[in-house]
Amino acid sequence: MSGLSGKHETRRSLVMVTGLGVVSPLGTLATGLVDALLEGRSGVRAIETTDPARTSTQFAAPVTEIPVPAGIEPAEFVRLDRLEQMCLSPLAAAVADARLAATPGRRVGLVLGLGAEHLKTWESDFLAGGRDVFEPTREATLVHRLAARLGLNGPAVTVAAACGSSGYALAVARSWLRLGWVDACLAGGCDILSPTSLAAFYNLRALSRRNDDAAAASRPFDTGRDGFVMGEGGGFFMLERAREARARGACLRGELAGVGMSSDGSHMVAPNTDPTQAARAIAAALADADITPAEIDYFNAHAAGTPVGDVAEAGAIRIACGTAADTIPVSSTKSMTGHLVSGAAAFEAAACLGAIERQAVPPTVNLDNPDPACPLDHVAHVARPRRVEVAASNSFGFGGSNLCLVFRRAA
Amino acid sequence: MNVAPSPRLPSPPGCGITTFAFREARLSEMAAVRSEPCPAGGPVLPPRFLRHADEHSVVGLRAVLEALADHPRPPEVTGHAVVSAPCQAGRLTAARTLAALPTGGAASVSPHLVPQCSLHSIAGAVSVALGMHGPHLGVGGGPDALAEGLFTAATLLTGGGDPDCSAAWLIATEWDEEPCLDAAGEPQNDPTCRALAMLLEPIGSPEGGGEDMPELSLAVHMPAGTAGGPRLHEPAGGLVAFTRALSMCREGGALAWWTIGCPWGGAIRVAGRPRKVATARREAA
Repeated sequence: MSGLSGKHETRRSLVMVTGLGVVSPLGTLATGLVDALLEGRSGVRAIETTDPARTSTQFAAPVTEIPVPAGIEPAEFVRLDRLEQMCLSPLAAAVADARLAATPGRRVGLVLGLGAEHLKTWESDFLAGGRDVFEPTREATLVHRLAARLGLNGPAVTVAAACGSSGYALAVARSWLRLGWVDACLAGGCDILSPTSLAAFYNLRALSRRNDDAAAASRPFDTGRDGFVMGEGGGFFMLERAREARARGACLRGELAGVGMSSDGSHMVAPNTDPTQAARAIAAALADADITPAEIDYFNAHAAGTPVGDVAEAGAIRIACGTAADTIPVSSTKSMTGHLVSGAAAFEAAACLGAIERQAVPPTVNLDNPDPACPLDHVAHVARPRRVEVAASNSFGFGGSNLCLVFRRAA
Repeated sequence: MNVAPSPRLPSPPGCGITTFAFREARLSEMAAVRSEPCPAGGPVLPPRFLRHADEHSVVGLRAVLEALADHPRPPEVTGHAVVSAPCQAGRLTAARTLAALPTGGAASVSPHLVPQCSLHSIAGAVSVALGMHGPHLGVGGGPDALAEGLFTAATLLTGGGDPDCSAAWLIATEWDEEPCLDAAGEPQNDPTCRALAMLLEPIGSPEGGGEDMPELSLAVHMPAGTAGGPRLHEPAGGLVAFTRALSMCREGGALAWWTIGCPWGGAIRVAGRPRKVATARREAA
């Protein structure tokens, strides 16, 4: 477990979110994403399955439009593969949102959370008639192409922790800022749907099979849940040290106040029924943020809608938060967006910032019959207006990877 | 946007490298290593633990186990973090999967594809095999994986301070040459998969040359003012060269330090213990 909290004063610098870009099944920030979350809209729908994999899953939560970033010709953008488009669009949005263009001389880094870049790019190429996967080539990874395109000259690294990948990217970026290795850092991640990933998760029996009712298929914490729904998209954050962000008059969307990470060390594939290590990650994040469980105003759960995982997470929250868990509002936005896989943690971090901005907790839709094995203060069906100063977000992944991020309203 | 780098040059935090091991296996030898991943006297893993694992995971885990066996005082690994830094892992399985897709459809796709062939999978395998509870993650994935992995492992150790995360394993893996595959995804050559595993532990100042300095230390150096924009990848020179450099630095002979350039202009420097300390220790002994 690591809270990434520093021993030295310089390593305790507050790190703020000064820019944000999101692409999701519910749209972007510019097209009313936060409204959609608070209204409980679902981005899950039937999808075309004419792909060669002929997967048995007939629904997902796709991104219907990836906005072309300003400064890039639409014809050029269209030539990029879908994964690069999916990352570049919110990255450029985060840069624009941060308004760093007027402050040259900064070293800006990039941490890309992406779990299976090569699987996705080899597959995209193959489905388009290419043979890259069969050829003995080694090319620069996506993060370096993105950094070059954006003109970044700081460190650029891809990190992966399965479904927590983009959250780990935020954690690494915060450390770089505290170490003084960057002056600002873009961090986050996105993912795309693909025929083989849909098929692999389906064959793993991890996906919902409610082909007759797609919008009701993603139902975290509900007794009728039968697996998750795959989605695509994600988000990127511009992070800066508070002092410099304030000095340049940046818009402070919130503070990345706490990080907690751990591993179960139990199984490569099967979710762990023992919530001990997940609870340790939550406790570490709270300690890192220097808050008590009672100070959490909203918990965005990982809760993908799997029978085992949701119960284990509820147990982890209860272990880490104790009796405070009775009154912490909890929801899973995956009920509306599906599981964005590598992009999930960043998207859900953005949902936390949305809750802080709007002072309301987004709901878990489709939560008709809360599972008694998940005894939490669920926000079911409709958003709950309330004071939100602190929001936490869990992310868990294959291999027993556990992550908790804590965001605090900017003072 | 950021046309000039920061003038700030933070003092490089350091890590000690307390053990390392290099392991390689030809593709044709992989089945044997897969079925017997542990060196004699090593831990006992569940039967067929690596049955579905990618070749990089097979060799990477073996390198970790050999490094542990070589450690002068084998540590308790429960709190350790793991960073894996492969170069294009998963290609063989991906090729076979895609080759079968047009005729086999969804049913032909293995459920192990994503958990075993993703960037994090090597770190996950090591974390699970040894019951580690520190964070584990994959880094890089391409030709710069070694530099990116070292950079990220140093981030975890020096940017953090959690006493539970006492050390981090870095496992860098690569093929000596990428597998040449036919249309069915079957290899037409017999490449060698290489893995370097090293255990990093935080230390104070690597420049201090104190008595508690480990035989090998590692520090991140950020550029003070390189001109120009970013560069695309600059291969680090391969695991074999880096492993040889580690050995030479540890021996304290002609090679005092070795530097790996990072694509963004920074550098990772590995150094042997300063000679005066080594000499004093020898005399004391």
